Amino acid sequence: MTLSYLKGGAAIAAATMAITVAGTAVNAQDVPSWCGPNEASLALLDGFGGNSWRIVTAEAGRQEAERCPQITEYIYADGQGDTQRAISDINSMAARGVNAIVVFGDAGPAVLPALTNAYRSGAVVVPYRVLVGGEAGTNYTRFIGASFVDDGITWGNVIAEAFPEGANLLFLSGPAGNSQGLEELEGMRQVLGEEYVFLNPEPFAVTNWDPSLTQQVLSAAIAQHEDIDVIVSDFGPSLVGALPVFQNFNRSIPMLVTSDGNSLGCFWTENQEANPDFELFTIETGTDNVRLAVQWAIAEATGGQGPEAEIFVSGPFENSITGEPNAVQCRADLPGATYLSSGVPGDRQGELVGN
Amino acid sequence: MAQTGTTVRTQTPLAASSLPVAKGFVTIVVSTIALIVLCVIYAPSAVTPGSLMGSLPFAAVLGIVGLGQMLVVQQGGFDLSVPGGVSLAVVVASHTANGNDALLFQAALVALGCALVAGVLNGVMVALFRLNAIVATIGMNALLFGAVFAVSGGVPRITTDLLAEIAGGRSLGIPHSVFFAVAILALVSFVLKKTVVGRRFEAIGANPLAAHAAGLRVRLYEGAAYVLAQLHYCVAGFLLAGITREPTAFQGNSLLLPSVAVVVLAGVSLLGGRGFPISVMIAAFFLNQLSQFALSIGVPYSAQTIVQALALVFGIGVYSINWTGRFSKTNQKPMEEEDHDTVVS
Repeated sequence: MTLSYLKGGAAIAAATMAITVAGTAVNAQDVPSWCGPNEASLALLDGFGGNSWRIVTAEAGRQEAERCPQITEYIYADGQGDTQRAISDINSMAARGVNAIVVFGDAGPAVLPALTNAYRSGAVVVPYRVLVGGEAGTNYTRFIGASFVDDGITWGNVIAEAFPEGANLLFLSGPAGNSQGLEELEGMRQVLGEEYVFLNPEPFAVTNWDPSLTQQVLSAAIAQHEDIDVIVSDFGPSLVGALPVFQNFNRSIPMLVTSDGNSLGCFWTENQEANPDFELFTIETGTDNVRLAVQWAIAEATGGQGPEAEIFVSGPFENSITGEPNAVQCRADLPGATYLSSGVPGDRQGELVGN
Repeated sequence: MAQTGTTVRTQTPLAASSLPVAKGFVTIVVSTIALIVLCVIYAPSAVTPGSLMGSLPFAAVLGIVGLGQMLVVQQGGFDLSVPGGVSLAVVVASHTANGNDALLFQAALVALGCALVAGVLNGVMVALFRLNAIVATIGMNALLFGAVFAVSGGVPRITTDLLAEIAGGRSLGIPHSVFFAVAILALVSFVLKKTVVGRRFEAIGANPLAAHAAGLRVRLYEGAAYVLAQLHYCVAGFLLAGITREPTAFQGNSLLLPSVAVVVLAGVSLLGGRGFPISVMIAAFFLNQLSQFALSIGVPYSAQTIVQALALVFGIGVYSINWTGRFSKTNQKPMEEEDHDTVVS
């Protein structure tokens, strides 16, 4: 997921970190099947690393690479939202002879030529999560996508369970036309019939995942519609500042179906008593998508066996109604911008994000 | 008559005695009333108390940022460091305090210090070294975003409860941010219109050469505009941090174009000269309400953006083109009557 971008020339000094993990002691029986016999170096290239989601994701990628003792060098580079820099990072890794490159291609097809060059120079190239165009086997080794349609289906099923007779839904997503929102809507439509009415303009209310715009959009929607049963959002934490708007109208916050975040869990814990209709369902926010991409990259580079999955599916995480698979989680001792669904432990996230 | 610095120089002192009203003020008030009427007819939900409570805080923030931009524009400059200035105040508010109410005052001092440094640097570059204002401030914007990264690493953090209450709370049913905006508006209006310093500030903006000849310290006033503007952005950033509770590190990005738009809509000449603080604040409400109107009638996001851009074009069209002179040259009013249009706001 892409949250915000630093525009213009606003850039700080390059933050490239190289961590050698060769010395890590790993018992032979712990070595996963995707870690083959050949030694390899691995680079994780972020198009934009300047938010907590990406920081946690980078840590997840590092942890996953650490599980394979054949990885002699792990390199992380941050494109800082600058397409030129992102392209330069890819070219640079290819020139250095890095064996496997995992790329979060924020700039989309703009990075495809660089990826193609790296692939043709012999590197294993695995873009993930954001579509970059091109084809596997021609422009890069393999694309590891996230199934946003499945996210939509999961949300749709929860909504259908909570409101079997139909409901009025408000769907908020990021920038206009973003593919994530469109796929999520497609998933929901597969499950929900015509008795479920989307109150927002087609295909979703645009928020740019910006708390301030979210608040304004929500204000207008609440004033316009007296009967919002469910709010669906693909970035839950951006709603924390906006949900108190319901108090202005003396109305309860309705059911919220979204992705997880510690600030959101804590907000629910603090406000659910005063808002009788406020139920919360979340899916995992997807910081572990990178693990699957890293596994595939290492398998291809070291001659290991690829994992079964090629698409990352976010599982359900919190459900305030059933408590399955988890009741709503809140770690008040951790920063709000942490994700308890992540494979990276909360305390470790706190260290990374809190500093 | 076009609202330019030239206009000011042609006015007669006697005109002030006839309770004149600026053309910009009339235009923006009429436009705002027309918009409210449109809302009542086509999108009544956009003017319900609950809706206004939700949107007014953002209008207040935009108004404060607009006042800062107005001061710079009055000196014939442009300040493109708005996003960096606001974003830095936002991250200092949320990161330095780090959820601890006791540290909020310290965070405010740090933010004000940063704003002063940024403003002084802008002022020195533009007023002293005579760098192009656009180039100097866009460079400063990049520096400020560097500071944003240094403070936050790009990671958002939740505001303290105290700041959320101060900025996002309500008293007498009115959002606190509106009180802040009104207080700052009163202060700016008073200083600008009723003090010697303020009158000199406007005179210098209208005609720096004449002001210099009269012995005024032109460069000092020009530089001071950038410092004062940064202080406005700082306050706006603090309020924004409290209103949104979990702001992003780039919260100021969306304020640059609207900050210029409200100044233009208020009728402030881009060539420098007189300021119209009340009009700027009304323009901020107008622009914000226009967004709410577009949202309420359910137009697509693309149309919302176009509507806002058209408002800007409308503002420039009304003030920058001499419609009267262009289409009815034979029917011009005497100079004394025309000058009535341009005296007060």
